[in-house]
Amino acid sequence: MPLPGFDRAAVAAALAQVADRPEDRAEAFLEASERLVWAPGEEPAPRLLREWGLAVRLRRGGRTWLASEDGLDDAALGEALRRVSRAGPPLGAPRLGLEPAPEEESSSFDELAAFPARLERRVRDHHVAFPMWVRLERHRRWLQVVAPRLHPEPESEALYSLAVELPFGRYGGLFPTLGDVEAEAVALSLVRLFRSRDRPPPAPGRAAVVLGPGAAAVLLHEAVAHALEADTLAMTGNPERAVGLQLGGEGLSVLDDPAGAPPGVRRRSDDEGMPVVRRWLLRDGRVEQPLADDRAADRWEGLLPGAARRSSRHEPPAPRSTHLELLPGEASLDDLLGEAEGGLFVPEAERGALEPVSGRFRLTFGAARRIRSAAAGEPVGAGSLSGSVVELLGGVRGIGAEAVTGGAGWCAKGGQRLPVWACAPSLLLAEVEVA
Amino acid sequence: MSAAGRGEDVVAALGRRGHRVVEIYLKRGRSRRVGLEVGRLSVVSAREEGWAVRAGDGDRAFLAGGTGAPSPDGPWPEPRPPGLRLAAPVTGSPWRPPDDLDLPVMGEAEGQALLEDLASRLAGELPGAQVLQARLEEGVAEVSIASSRGVAARFRTRAASLYAEAVRGGGRPVRAALQVAVRALRDIDVRAEAARLGDRLRLREAPPESLRDRGELLLGPEVGAALLAGLLPLWVGAGAEERLRPLLDRRGRLGSALWTLVDDGRLPSGVLAAPADGEGTPTRAVTLVEEGAFRQPLVSWREARPPERVASGCVVRPGWRDVPARGPTHLYQTPDPEVSVSDLLGEIARGYYLIEAGAGGRFDLEGDAFELPVEGMRLARGRAVAPVTGALLRGRVSSLLRGLRGVGRDVRFASHGGGMIGSPTLLVSGLEIVSP
Repeated sequence: MPLPGFDRAAVAAALAQVADRPEDRAEAFLEASERLVWAPGEEPAPRLLREWGLAVRLRRGGRTWLASEDGLDDAALGEALRRVSRAGPPLGAPRLGLEPAPEEESSSFDELAAFPARLERRVRDHHVAFPMWVRLERHRRWLQVVAPRLHPEPESEALYSLAVELPFGRYGGLFPTLGDVEAEAVALSLVRLFRSRDRPPPAPGRAAVVLGPGAAAVLLHEAVAHALEADTLAMTGNPERAVGLQLGGEGLSVLDDPAGAPPGVRRRSDDEGMPVVRRWLLRDGRVEQPLADDRAADRWEGLLPGAARRSSRHEPPAPRSTHLELLPGEASLDDLLGEAEGGLFVPEAERGALEPVSGRFRLTFGAARRIRSAAAGEPVGAGSLSGSVVELLGGVRGIGAEAVTGGAGWCAKGGQRLPVWACAPSLLLAEVEVA
Repeated sequence: MSAAGRGEDVVAALGRRGHRVVEIYLKRGRSRRVGLEVGRLSVVSAREEGWAVRAGDGDRAFLAGGTGAPSPDGPWPEPRPPGLRLAAPVTGSPWRPPDDLDLPVMGEAEGQALLEDLASRLAGELPGAQVLQARLEEGVAEVSIASSRGVAARFRTRAASLYAEAVRGGGRPVRAALQVAVRALRDIDVRAEAARLGDRLRLREAPPESLRDRGELLLGPEVGAALLAGLLPLWVGAGAEERLRPLLDRRGRLGSALWTLVDDGRLPSGVLAAPADGEGTPTRAVTLVEEGAFRQPLVSWREARPPERVASGCVVRPGWRDVPARGPTHLYQTPDPEVSVSDLLGEIARGYYLIEAGAGGRFDLEGDAFELPVEGMRLARGRAVAPVTGALLRGRVSSLLRGLRGVGRDVRFASHGGGMIGSPTLLVSGLEIVSP
């Protein structure tokens, strides 16, 4: 169900009528999306949800007006334009000039329905078995931004999400594809949770921690990406003042690169139609370029747009990361474990949260291992890591050589649910608060 | 053709394709949201329209949904196990729509003025406090449900909400937030909300102190509602009796005769008040606990076993993208209209007044234990003498059920899983307050 073709020039001309002052910015956001849900055992198990709609946004100085519609036709466009222009009568007959949508593959549940059995087989390969309730979704979205002076190409995204309920916990993950590799990765995670199920939580206190690539991805999302979003920084002052701050040591370099995300979720332009940027958030520990949308970049000259995301047409865009990269170091996992004797190895995180004003973060995990003799030793139960962003980034003592690409989870900041991706190696942190 | 008329066509068309049971749900609404963030104003006006069809038979079924109006031609997914059961039509008592349904939705200037008023009142309440971001939203919607079994329901709804986050302090800034859901914008008391936000900031400025104490506890409505939410498995669903039984006293009662819990999908002034639930079954008030005696769990028609478990319209369906699920509509502890919070405070010689509940509460109903992050203040002779932050309220669930000693008249509701849970201020004893 890709977006149908339409007359971009006519839409751009209609937007130009609304943006009638020199400082005005207006854009239209056209969206089609499809969600296939496979929830075995639930009533009903197969669910197909398809949406079409659009939004028009006008920015004028410090004010923004957004009008959204659950429809993709001339009437919806006209109504949205009328509302953002706050005009009484409709504007002169704007036309989308819709063409027939391109042919598409049929939406089949077979791929989703086959996965739970495949996953159970992989779990049994590890010589364990336990009940599990699997819920799978395939998400596809097609986007097009139109602005009077901006003509980005259409964008599309396709990804899978999975949630597993277990008698001893839960697991969630995001994947660009759904095959044997993903089944094995999920099975490994579930087996880890199974083996930690009756283990006591880690003793509270400070400890060295080695984060596996999955846990490092979640931590970077909270402690680097959220902390360096222009709207988060603006809560405590001018975001430009963050540029140049030394938050971590040499060798700690983190980028946001939407164009380098896994195939299927790669982007050339953001949800405002601006070209995406390979953005150094931290270069050798120093803040270089916070995440910004066009609104933030207009207000603070030192910021670059290109990082705007929106969960749907009904929400205004906001600065968010898409695909984080932590540049690899030179250490093997054994090296990192060898530097953290008695500490914790946390392969994956369940969720993370950043308190934006105080800069404190919290990362929770369902399973970990005690580090003994430079190796992952006995399993440990669920727990959490916490601290301040400055402490955390200043406490990075080693970075693994092997980076792994994958989903960092659903980000829910500001009520907008967005998939986020990362390519991260393992990470050694000195003296983190464990609870 | 109207959306409802097209819905009937869809039901008929799917019936002709051999689907024995078919239901269509249509929802159309419009809303306006005015937000202030770091001094910038944003106005979002949304018009939403969507539908969902559930169809199948006793062995196989599917759900399909989309924006706009449905087409009898689909496309429809292939039905798969399990099968689908749909509610039979039930005649409900007459419904008188609330008189606020026809009020206009908040305008831009009105929303902006209220948010600026909130910011100004907060600064007056607590010098140096600033609203970081605040959002007001108000909307109306029309819902229509029809099924091949003869269910036909149509109703309108209305809701408004306020979300606000504030900060204070330079070196060690503190942040506090609040969320309020009401039927209409006019129901939001900006002065009271600014005072609440100020109270929360004041509390957070105090460093957490080491604490392990018992005593009389006054639990504000938010804390009471968080406790009721954690204890939902005791009141909701077919297995509630079994879960509750080990916690009852020797006479088979909850312990305190002050417990009276009601779920009412038609609650006057309730945010979700409607004549029918998400499957078109008429809503009604059902008493779950009456003066300390358990009467029946909250069950939908699927779990009903009259006369012990009588169904009420309690299938929650926030929108067309959601699968209907049984849950609280407006589940609340009934207030005592004769008792003010001051009356309850006056009964406390030494204790705590806990006004805010945090996330991450743990409720082990089988193990008869719970803990809930809380904030509030220490009381002496009915007066606040010290703030309490970062504390845990904990104890036995059975002690909470037995230890209820007073109920105020100030019910407030909080959103929970598509429904609303409400509580007045509660006076309890037998629990512990500790530093984590």
